[in-house]
Amino acid sequence: MEAGADQQSIIDEQRQTIAELETPVIQVWDGVLALPIVGSLDTYRTQTMNEALLEKIVATGSEIVILDITGTPVVDTAVARHLLDTVAAARLLGSEVFIVGLSSRTAMTLVQLGLDLSGVTTRTTMARGLKLAFERLGYEVVQRRNGTALADSALPNA
Amino acid sequence: MNDIPIIRLGDALISTLPQDLSDADALSFREALTDKIEATGASGILLDISSLEIVDSFFGRVLNEIGASAGLLGARTVVIGMQPAVAMTLVELGLELRGVRTALSAESGMQMLGSAFNGRARPDVR
Repeated sequence: MEAGADQQSIIDEQRQTIAELETPVIQVWDGVLALPIVGSLDTYRTQTMNEALLEKIVATGSEIVILDITGTPVVDTAVARHLLDTVAAARLLGSEVFIVGLSSRTAMTLVQLGLDLSGVTTRTTMARGLKLAFERLGYEVVQRRNGTALADSALPNA
Repeated sequence: MNDIPIIRLGDALISTLPQDLSDADALSFREALTDKIEATGASGILLDISSLEIVDSFFGRVLNEIGASAGLLGARTVVIGMQPAVAMTLVELGLELRGVRTALSAESGMQMLGSAFNGRARPDVR
């Protein structure tokens, strides 16, 4: 009996952890939110995710949202539809959504499923998504000649 | 109910929709707005719907129609201040408001309209 109760408490604890991990909306820059999606999307999860995201968009006045699906191994029709719902809802608030982290396999699947993603901006990596976000907001990222990262890595040779 | 005020600012028309908007109000607003666009030759419409907390498919359709008819009259429509719950409802209803543009704040909304009427509003300036 005791072992059973222990097991139950572990399960509850893990469920709690998973719920907390589910929808972290990260502000990566002024006006730019990022939402990494790990694991697959079901209706319930999409709903909580959408709520969190939309609240955050309004609270921060963010004009760009980057949805990262690197951690979503399978994008089927249902998942894609959920993603498109998120894009549509954010757009209604006045914010633009980029979907990043598409693998070649995902891209092929989406095309084979015949899903219309023509209205959605997609990029392969978060870095490219962020770069595009900067472009949209009118920022320019310039590398200085003597960045600290470069200086540090140069130390052992000095 | 009284008419919903429509303010003219340069080449733009600005209006805030009240919280309790009946179907009849929405329809008469649509009419008043299109009349005003025709009368003023406005090229931009800014609709603030931040006080709306609940919408139905009827309102979604009216909003789309406002956007479409304004477009036919040469005006761009920007909807601002939508509540998250409203956005989710509209998406669930399958109404993505393709006829209108949306913005987070009045400021960015006016910026969106800016490109539409900058050149025409004051031809004497640059």
